[in-house]
Amino acid sequence: MQTRLESPAVIALLAAIGLFLCSLANALSRETRDPSQLIYWLGVLLIAVPIFLRLTSSGPSYRERLGLVLLLGLALYGVKIVHDAPLFTLSDEYIHAFNIHQIEKYDHLYHFNPAISTSPYYPGLEGATSALTMLTGASTYLCGTILVGAARLVQMAALFFLFARLSGSARGAGIGVAVYTGTSNFLFWGAQFSYESLSLPLVCVVLMAFVEREEAPPRLRGAWAVPIVLGILAITITHHLSSYALAIIFVALAVLYRVMRVEKPNPWPFAVLAVGSAAAWLLIAAESTTGYLFPVLENALEAIYETAFGDTEARQLFGSPSDTAEAVAGTPIGARAIALLAIAVLGVISLVGLRQVWRRERRNPLAIIFCAFTVAFFAALMLRFAPAAWETGNRAGGYFFIGLSFVAIYGTAQLLRRGPRLMRRRLLLTGALAVVLVGGAISGWSWDLQLARPLKASADGKDIFSEPLALAEFASQRLDGSRFAGPEADARILLHPGGQVAFGGQGPDIEDIVDEPQLRDWQLPLLERNHLPFLVADRRLLSEDTLRGQYFSVKDQYGNELRPKGVVHKFSEIPVGRVWQGGRIVLFNLRDRP
Amino acid sequence: MRGHRDLQRACLAAVACALVAALAPWEIVRLAAALPLTLFLPGYAIVAAAFGSRELAAPKRAMLSVALSLMTLALGAFVLNIFPFGLETASWAVLLPLVVIAACRGAALRRERPQRGRDARPALPRPVAGSLVLGALAVAIALGALALAEKPLPAENAKGFTALWMLPTDEREDVVAIGVDSNQHDPHSYRLRVSLGKDQSKTYRVELDPGEERVYEVDVPPRPSGRTHVVASLYRAGKPQKLYRRVTSWLPRQMTFP
Repeated sequence: MQTRLESPAVIALLAAIGLFLCSLANALSRETRDPSQLIYWLGVLLIAVPIFLRLTSSGPSYRERLGLVLLLGLALYGVKIVHDAPLFTLSDEYIHAFNIHQIEKYDHLYHFNPAISTSPYYPGLEGATSALTMLTGASTYLCGTILVGAARLVQMAALFFLFARLSGSARGAGIGVAVYTGTSNFLFWGAQFSYESLSLPLVCVVLMAFVEREEAPPRLRGAWAVPIVLGILAITITHHLSSYALAIIFVALAVLYRVMRVEKPNPWPFAVLAVGSAAAWLLIAAESTTGYLFPVLENALEAIYETAFGDTEARQLFGSPSDTAEAVAGTPIGARAIALLAIAVLGVISLVGLRQVWRRERRNPLAIIFCAFTVAFFAALMLRFAPAAWETGNRAGGYFFIGLSFVAIYGTAQLLRRGPRLMRRRLLLTGALAVVLVGGAISGWSWDLQLARPLKASADGKDIFSEPLALAEFASQRLDGSRFAGPEADARILLHPGGQVAFGGQGPDIEDIVDEPQLRDWQLPLLERNHLPFLVADRRLLSEDTLRGQYFSVKDQYGNELRPKGVVHKFSEIPVGRVWQGGRIVLFNLRDRP
Repeated sequence: MRGHRDLQRACLAAVACALVAALAPWEIVRLAAALPLTLFLPGYAIVAAAFGSRELAAPKRAMLSVALSLMTLALGAFVLNIFPFGLETASWAVLLPLVVIAACRGAALRRERPQRGRDARPALPRPVAGSLVLGALAVAIALGALALAEKPLPAENAKGFTALWMLPTDEREDVVAIGVDSNQHDPHSYRLRVSLGKDQSKTYRVELDPGEERVYEVDVPPRPSGRTHVVASLYRAGKPQKLYRRVTSWLPRQMTFP
């Protein structure tokens, strides 16, 4: 009976049922029925727990374990898809989808993006997706989802091969990959259509190829250099932070090989290539990256200093990452407890694992680096207390977690030794892995956003749109190629699917123009200087929230708090033309006047 | 490449997939052709060129094929961008088969002798009927989950609205299009009043089903000097005195900032 329940077909069926439960919970939420999140979490657990349990067994073959981790990656990616389909809804997705729109429009890369000006200079993801959109004629959403899905499968397989080669255990490799799914960005943020969703899997491939090369006979070392070199180059043009992370890893490896006098070829050529290509790309093509990244890192460092010395109040954990003023549902106590328990579980596993890795693998430089990553992961958790540094810590966690997952293989190995009560110990480990997965998902994504919100709805068999989406559809059909200023949520959806050049946020300072109820002297000249004739005035308090501001407002739930009437009236009183009016949103044309 | 059947097949498949993806009129057929061309064949050929035929276990070969295909796409976009024609359907349809053919040629040269006789691929275990049924059921349920996610559903508590918009229809700006677009849950009736300057106005009765849009084209009378202030006002049938939506324009538009 137990064997049957653990057969791959049954596990696949349970994963499919789990995915359906997730989809059902999201559907109920889109129907604005405010369903219990228990359905959703039950679905996530139904996907993961049978796979975790099977991975802890000594029964499966190498190929079966690989199949299980691929199923795990695919099904958990499905959780993100059933949350969003058939439209991009995560804040960075609009930006990268707009880049594809620009590539299709101009047939070339590097065209301007008003939201993140550096993003067109890292066109790996968009260039790759454009191949699919152009060859198939299919939507950006479908092609982007397929491409990120392929990258996700590659990542799962690469981690499995990497861990299997390093630890010498397929069982351990499967558990290591299972632990990796507990990284806080795995379920949503890391699965979005964004450059890191391609670059991070490629980093895993390069690391895996490097380890295979180290173990390969000399005649095959050249062959394994091919994916390493191509990977380094592809990552360089895909994502800045990933290319820097990879460069740091290779430099550290080259130094450790030298210091530890490893009797294998020093990987300095790869370090030179990784550092050289990242630096060259930064200097030649992507100069704006410094202006984009350095302020973020500077703010993070400042926040750490100020929080540490009490100049700034520490950030409240499980608070909304958004700066919206509208109150959102807080994370329940039980969920917070699971998230904290997950950290505790990882802490215990890491402590045991670090000791074991040090005893058994301390002659392996990559294992040393992974140990350092494990320590760095827990150090990065401290950044979550600093208001401007939590995102930096959260993003870095995705890389550090690779090392932690490797160390966890050794930390969990003790539990799976042959002996009495093995089944109990397997169940205990399965439970711990489930806690890590769910805890990571809770700490990585706001509680109120775990379930989908309505962006499109049906009424009498026809589709109706939320107000920002209706504006974007109008702009797409009637104002092609225009330039807009607006609150950030509206600006993002005007980028895609609107296909317009839409500015929001603070560079230039559109945020104050659209959020303040009074018209200041500097505001119209700034709009004129930046050639922004179309202005979106939005009374919804959520309009600056790029994760929540694009949906329907729902009675007694969200989207109901408003800014003062002045945010709209100040433009009416100039006076200027009003092009489009929905409920709370008005589109003005500043060049249409008496 | 004579004798290397896998390489010959890869080349033929790449050319065939490129032709179908570039020329077929149906999206689903193009997608079916483009997926192997973009996500597998370039990587497969590069792996073959790098490793030869027997040096890599099948799972790693498969993973590397997809991974190297992704890298090829990212770097291929960079290469195509250098040329004046840039990234377009035809350039991708040529580049990707070229990569596959070139890498397969390199693989054929590296392989010591052609594969002959039996296909030495490892035999896959024969699936049990019960497993096949369960697997098919799993696929069906997963597809059902995706279909449910894509289906717009009634959202009774979501606040519906009707949008009003106005734009000139052409560059002369002597006609405006005025649209009323319902995103309400139920049918609604409205009165649309369009005033053209101080003297003229037109009124329309508008009845809209959910998701329906009506567009009215209105001539803007020419004025010897100055601009015509066009105002479209929308009133709900149930509250005829209370303005519901208003859009305005001064035609022909001045096209300068205030």
